[in-house]
Amino acid sequence: MPDLFANYEHGKFYDEMFAAPGKARPHYRRLYERFGMMENMAELMDRQRTADQTFIDRGVTFTVYSDNAGTEKIFPFDLLPRIIPAHEWAHLERGLIQRMQALNLFLADIYDGQRILAEGIVPREMIETSKNFRKELVGCKIARDLYVHINGSDMIRDEAGLYSVLEDNLRTPSGVSYVLENRQVMKRVFPTMLRDYRVRPVENYTNDLLNLLLYLAPAHVPEPTVVLLTPGVYNSAYFEHSFLARQMGIEIVEGSDLVVENDKVYMRRTDGLAPVHVIYRRIDDDFLDPTVFRKDSLLGVPGLFEAYRKGNVALCNPIGTGVADDKAVYYYVPKMIKFYLGEDPILPNIETYLSGNAKELDYILANLPKLVVKSVNEAGGYGMLVGPHSTQTQIEDFRAKIIANPRNFIAQPTIGLSRCPSVIEGGTIEGRHIDFRPYILNGETIKIMPGGLTRVALRKGSLVVNSSQGGGSKDTWVLNDDITNPPLPVQEKIIV
Amino acid sequence: MLSRVANLVYWMARQLERAENTARIVDVNAQLVLDLQSRQAADDPKSWEPLVYVTGDDEKFFELYGETVTERAVTEFMLFDRRNPSSLISCIALARENARCIRDQLSGEVWETLNTFYLKLKSDDYTRYAQLGSAEYLNRIKTQIQLFYGVAESMIPRTGLWWFFLLGRFLERADNTSRILDVKYYMLLPDLHAVGSALDMVQWASVLRSCSAFEAFRRSRRGQLNLERVVDYLLRDEVFPRSILFAIAEAEQALGQITATAVHLEDTPPARLIRELRAELEMIDVPAVIADGLHEFLDDIQTKVLEIHEALQATFVNYDTASAQVQS
Repeated sequence: MPDLFANYEHGKFYDEMFAAPGKARPHYRRLYERFGMMENMAELMDRQRTADQTFIDRGVTFTVYSDNAGTEKIFPFDLLPRIIPAHEWAHLERGLIQRMQALNLFLADIYDGQRILAEGIVPREMIETSKNFRKELVGCKIARDLYVHINGSDMIRDEAGLYSVLEDNLRTPSGVSYVLENRQVMKRVFPTMLRDYRVRPVENYTNDLLNLLLYLAPAHVPEPTVVLLTPGVYNSAYFEHSFLARQMGIEIVEGSDLVVENDKVYMRRTDGLAPVHVIYRRIDDDFLDPTVFRKDSLLGVPGLFEAYRKGNVALCNPIGTGVADDKAVYYYVPKMIKFYLGEDPILPNIETYLSGNAKELDYILANLPKLVVKSVNEAGGYGMLVGPHSTQTQIEDFRAKIIANPRNFIAQPTIGLSRCPSVIEGGTIEGRHIDFRPYILNGETIKIMPGGLTRVALRKGSLVVNSSQGGGSKDTWVLNDDITNPPLPVQEKIIV
Repeated sequence: MLSRVANLVYWMARQLERAENTARIVDVNAQLVLDLQSRQAADDPKSWEPLVYVTGDDEKFFELYGETVTERAVTEFMLFDRRNPSSLISCIALARENARCIRDQLSGEVWETLNTFYLKLKSDDYTRYAQLGSAEYLNRIKTQIQLFYGVAESMIPRTGLWWFFLLGRFLERADNTSRILDVKYYMLLPDLHAVGSALDMVQWASVLRSCSAFEAFRRSRRGQLNLERVVDYLLRDEVFPRSILFAIAEAEQALGQITATAVHLEDTPPARLIRELRAELEMIDVPAVIADGLHEFLDDIQTKVLEIHEALQATFVNYDTASAQVQS
């Protein structure tokens, strides 16, 4: 029997598929055996091409910032799924629910009461100097007391396979459309395997999201209107915006489509103004309302903030959530869990050093070549130093930046992210580093899509998984139940 | 529907129709010049100058190309020059850009047809045009645009999106047909005796052909090809799809569909203006119009189409929100 994994190199990292060379973990055994039946790599490459073509045909694309306006690329998709067994998922789910509860309570507290600051658990200065703290909102009543609705926490596994939270994304986390599209493609390419594995469906996400949005509408409105607010067609995530709007059957609007009259929000239609009650906004706080936030914003809606403050319109996510995904505030999330819930964190943070703390600053500066340094408010893999992969000049450059503005940086040890076998151009299977972004919805109850976005750093040796930096994605299979020793089914017909 | 979306689809249709008519105008002139033969050499500036005036872009042209009007300069200006906002390439590029913004509301095929056309057209230039010959090249262009209309017709649901598409298309057509007619006005005949001569007939036949109206004309009106009869046909034939009256009537119907569901929009300025223009066209006395000056009359039609356009914008797109109707 030919073995596509015969030359697979394990390395010193946690391998998602293999416990040891040639020995697949129980939840990967079925896949291992199925692939073993393939004639050779050519068959797998055929399926990879089928998948790629499907993405192009379906227009699943993103725009790269540095390219000119018309350039669209597909987010590279890797055929070999990341499989999460049921017991692992149950653990992740408990941890993520706990974290969401604590983050919501923290935001509620920060904007109304500030008990956690008064008790000195989180330094007041840390919050007040956070770029994403919106003092305009302190004391303002918000829909259903939900201070954050959607979190895309980024998770990683270290060399021992331990899951931890790398960062939270509480503003406008993106990528969920790829999760849904990846699954559609996998259904075409490996239909029977998905069924045999009893993979939990992800398709309910848009329905759950719509229910959440409707739940936020002002109470007196019998049939609320929900819209998705996009920065426009040139935004890198526009595909996702239009995808989600279509899936939910809601209107996709730009800032110029909305007007505020008498502190109420309307959209401009050909037959007049139509009231809007809930806005799923995919625009950062800064750009929402030029009369309150950035004056030069052409993307936003003048007067929107006042309409929001008066409770005439709900925003998802609410304004000001960014204060909790500041990477320096992240450091305090385990303390928040303890403080608000009286529990120990189920999912740990990565060990983190704050350059704002004098003692930790010394450590950071002495150990830069070993550390990952991140700017506290950047996302997308920008503004980041990976010490072991950087030149002396890059390190010195960061050293100067950190000294100039210590509050703006954190450092973490370089974690050897877990690896998952991936199909490599040219026709081999090699281990590539991956991370994971689940999507947590906080509405009437907390709901977590059983699955999420597994990003893979397709460049050999790279630890950066962002799409803007050469990353791709994999379908994530959360299993309905743990199959320890699955029977070998008959070979499925290849559907191309 | 959202005003922005309505405006995008309306402009997309206008740009496409303008692109098609630009191709037609260049085509009719290329044919007219061939027919002039010995009387005026084909590269006589006089043979190409009219186009520059007819499209209303003369200032831009002289600014870019100087005072010497050549066949090549005019063709480049009208077909391939992106600095000319009404050139074929500019129109198609803008139409594509608009389509891109509402791509998720058009069907995939509608967008792809236009995108493919644009990507092919992008690298074309005068050399390519000359290589294929004007007739063949422009015919291909027209076919591509017709293909788009075919796909759009069979794919776009008959919602506001479609009616704004038709509204844009037919208003632009009314304007453009008046400009094609005007080309003839600028083609100065050698002397008065030439009216009704063989050359005159040839020229009118060319004008009709540029609207693909020659055979339709022959079928519907027996007898002579002359100024009065051709003008009558292109101004107000009720059944020929490129006549001005037909285009205005279609635009009126599309507007009727748009306002059918909103009582407060039934009798708006654009509806009144379109109705008036249609009535005027139905009533005109063609010999009198010609006697008073065809060019002035055509100019007047263009002004009225512009007024309708502005009224549409004011009613559906740029209306004042403080006094706007609020839907419950």
